[in-house]
Amino acid sequence: MSQTVRSLAVAAVAVVGLAACDNRMPEVPGEKAMATSDVQSAALATYVKPGALDEYYLFYSGGHSGQVFVAGVPSMRHIATIPVFAPYPGTGYGYDEATRAMLGGFTWGDVHHPAVSKTDGDYDGRWLFVNDNANNRIARIDLRDFKTKQILGPIPNTMGNHGSSMVTNNTEYALVATRFSVPVPNRFEPIEEYAKEYKGAVTGIRIDPKSGEMSIGWQILTPPFNWDLGATGKGPSDGWAFWTSYNTERATGKLEVTASQRDRDYLAIVDWKAAERVTREGKTTRIEGIAMIDPAKVPGVMYLVPCAKSPHGVDVDPSGEYVICSGKLSPTATVYSFAKLKEAIDRKDFSGDEDGIPVLNYDNTVLLEVPVGLGPLHTQFDGKGYAYTSLFVESAVAKWKLPPYDNGVDPKSLIVQKIPVHFNIGHLVTAHGDTRNPRGDYLVAMNKLSKGRHLSVGPSIPESSQLIGIGDGKMTMLYEAFTEPEPHFAQLVHKDVINAIEFYPKAENHHPNAIWTPKEATVVRNAAKRTVEAKIYAIRTYFEPGRIQVQEGDTVILHITNAEQQRDEIHGFAVVGHDKNVIIDPGETKTLKFVADRYGVYPYYCTNFCSALHQEMQGYIEVVPRDRRLTMYRNNDGPMTWERRDPALALSEHGGH
Amino acid sequence: MLVGAAALLLAAICLPLWGMTLVSVQYPEGLRMVVYPTHIRGDITEINLLNHYIGMAEISNDFFVELKVIPVLFGVIAGLCLIAAVVRRTWVTLLPILLMSATAVYGFWSMRTRLYSYGNDLDPTAAIDIEPFTPPMLGENTIAQFGTYAYFSWGTFLPVLAGVLVTIVLWLDLRARNGAGITIKQEAIR
Repeated sequence: MSQTVRSLAVAAVAVVGLAACDNRMPEVPGEKAMATSDVQSAALATYVKPGALDEYYLFYSGGHSGQVFVAGVPSMRHIATIPVFAPYPGTGYGYDEATRAMLGGFTWGDVHHPAVSKTDGDYDGRWLFVNDNANNRIARIDLRDFKTKQILGPIPNTMGNHGSSMVTNNTEYALVATRFSVPVPNRFEPIEEYAKEYKGAVTGIRIDPKSGEMSIGWQILTPPFNWDLGATGKGPSDGWAFWTSYNTERATGKLEVTASQRDRDYLAIVDWKAAERVTREGKTTRIEGIAMIDPAKVPGVMYLVPCAKSPHGVDVDPSGEYVICSGKLSPTATVYSFAKLKEAIDRKDFSGDEDGIPVLNYDNTVLLEVPVGLGPLHTQFDGKGYAYTSLFVESAVAKWKLPPYDNGVDPKSLIVQKIPVHFNIGHLVTAHGDTRNPRGDYLVAMNKLSKGRHLSVGPSIPESSQLIGIGDGKMTMLYEAFTEPEPHFAQLVHKDVINAIEFYPKAENHHPNAIWTPKEATVVRNAAKRTVEAKIYAIRTYFEPGRIQVQEGDTVILHITNAEQQRDEIHGFAVVGHDKNVIIDPGETKTLKFVADRYGVYPYYCTNFCSALHQEMQGYIEVVPRDRRLTMYRNNDGPMTWERRDPALALSEHGGH
Repeated sequence: MLVGAAALLLAAICLPLWGMTLVSVQYPEGLRMVVYPTHIRGDITEINLLNHYIGMAEISNDFFVELKVIPVLFGVIAGLCLIAAVVRRTWVTLLPILLMSATAVYGFWSMRTRLYSYGNDLDPTAAIDIEPFTPPMLGENTIAQFGTYAYFSWGTFLPVLAGVLVTIVLWLDLRARNGAGITIKQEAIR
């Protein structure tokens, strides 16, 4: 064979060889299968044996489900759903008069960022605040009974409350911000006028230190940027609030392109103590009844500093000295020194302005741009000098070193470890990760996609949350759980911080129509008003009264007291065929109201399984036709008389324990 | 010693006589009923709620005449002890002992009948029919799904101790009177 022939033969073999390999998959960067020993230690680290308790509460936002989910860590078991912005028949939320009024006619919300109340910059376990991106609201859940207590809003001059509901160091304020700028006050202006006539706003929601009651503290009018996420200062930065923005191009149309033209957008820096002061001094104008601060006219309240392209998260490290923005469309986390930001403000080191709001000099305030990876969204901390940034595009979490840095440090050398997550992580949360005292043992990655990680449930696919151990100096994948749509951010709170009650003590029930003995049960008809109002006693395992007679067309108002004082003895009260169901916890009184608009007889029954004779816990509403006389009332008016059942347990005579 | 006995009796009025603890799978923390000379304490509401399913009568303070009688008896006996401490006569010392014995008999008899009637005189209309039973007065047992533990407590022990003290006094008095040759200091007896 000649040299040429031999060469041709080798080439042919090589071609065939290559062709045979065209099914080969390249390696997934960073992905490694778990070794058996890793699986075993992960199993032990997350196994919480039956009857044992988890160490942490995980409060997930429920996204467009409008609710909050509670899970335990490290087991990742879902424990409860706290209904907030949407009715939830499971706990009767949105069916009784009090919660129906609180929902205000809305049937859903979009919960993004839960925030536990803080004292001295750490969780105090009193309340959980959550935002509604859809209907511009903010809600407060009391962590004593895990119930929604207040929904504030729709908040005027706010459209898409996204950069919310982070709380300040001592829960003085919760944050609210506009994501979608509109004309303020809202009116018709064609979209062509966006850059000029449309405005954004950021708001401080004042929180009463005793009751937790929320009210609007101050509002600041801003250029029509899309405000994204917020954070509050701590330590040296206490008294300051931060928001990231995108679309500082003030563009409309296809934002994916039009809002991604500038290399840098802005981080807003708000001196909320100054905002509080100028509001008190009346340096505001009223828009839609709200005291609005115009930062162009009232200097010293708001500043801007350039920030890597279309940032998402802004986070303040545990010391409060560093502010970190995650640059979504830039593979960097921008680290600012708060001391330098403050110095630039004090020295008026401005590089320009946006509608009269000073823009701080970027170069003099930024410490470093850390190349964390592709699509950085959000950063949390471990309290041991490290930051953890979620990388949406890369589907990974990057662990990197926080300042102080040596002069001329190689930014790449700051990246300590990366761990792949499945898939496309949004937010992440570490234990007490946004407080002054992160616990540094667990991290939960909240992934937007879970494709194929679970048994198939058809095309409507849940999200995945992955538990990563960070306690022993490196990130270790431990466990994954699937959650209903759709966790955004969460709070990971040590169990010792939360003190929840197990039933409502009778002494704390101040409902004017609460009753504690069957003798007190009453049904009273007001013929003139066409109402029937009843005080109903519920106990294992009967309702007193067991019958209620009304006339067709009457408005029926039922106050039902669950007279139990025992953990988990929950009773329900559903009216068959009337789309009504309330769930009454032990010691609680709820009011149910409806119009009896169809004659006939309708059962009511206990919906929440309570005891061996739960099935027998029922009664009847007799709806008497308009042309028939009521049989249980004198003159169709006044109190209903009925034969009360015996024996009647006189529970009020005992104090329990 | 007699003053001591009186003090023990008076203290006993505030202490539990007897108690019962019930435990089951769904009540791992236990349900407690504790009987004091003057009242009943514990998870009575919950116990009544459970009992009503099998038709047991409701346990309540008003129902027990014993809760009015026993503290008075304890007080009277304490008074008699004090009188015996002052009036040093054998027959006077005998009085608290007699009343104490009567009280003990009454107490145990009443408890026995109460426990019997609670477990045997069941409401025939109750939801669940069970074989009549007598809850045990002492020790561990099983009633339906519950493990029970019944015990006496200081409200019972102290009067018993008081009884022993007074009996010792009586014995010493008798020995002194019979001229056993031992001189007993009256101070110690008081």
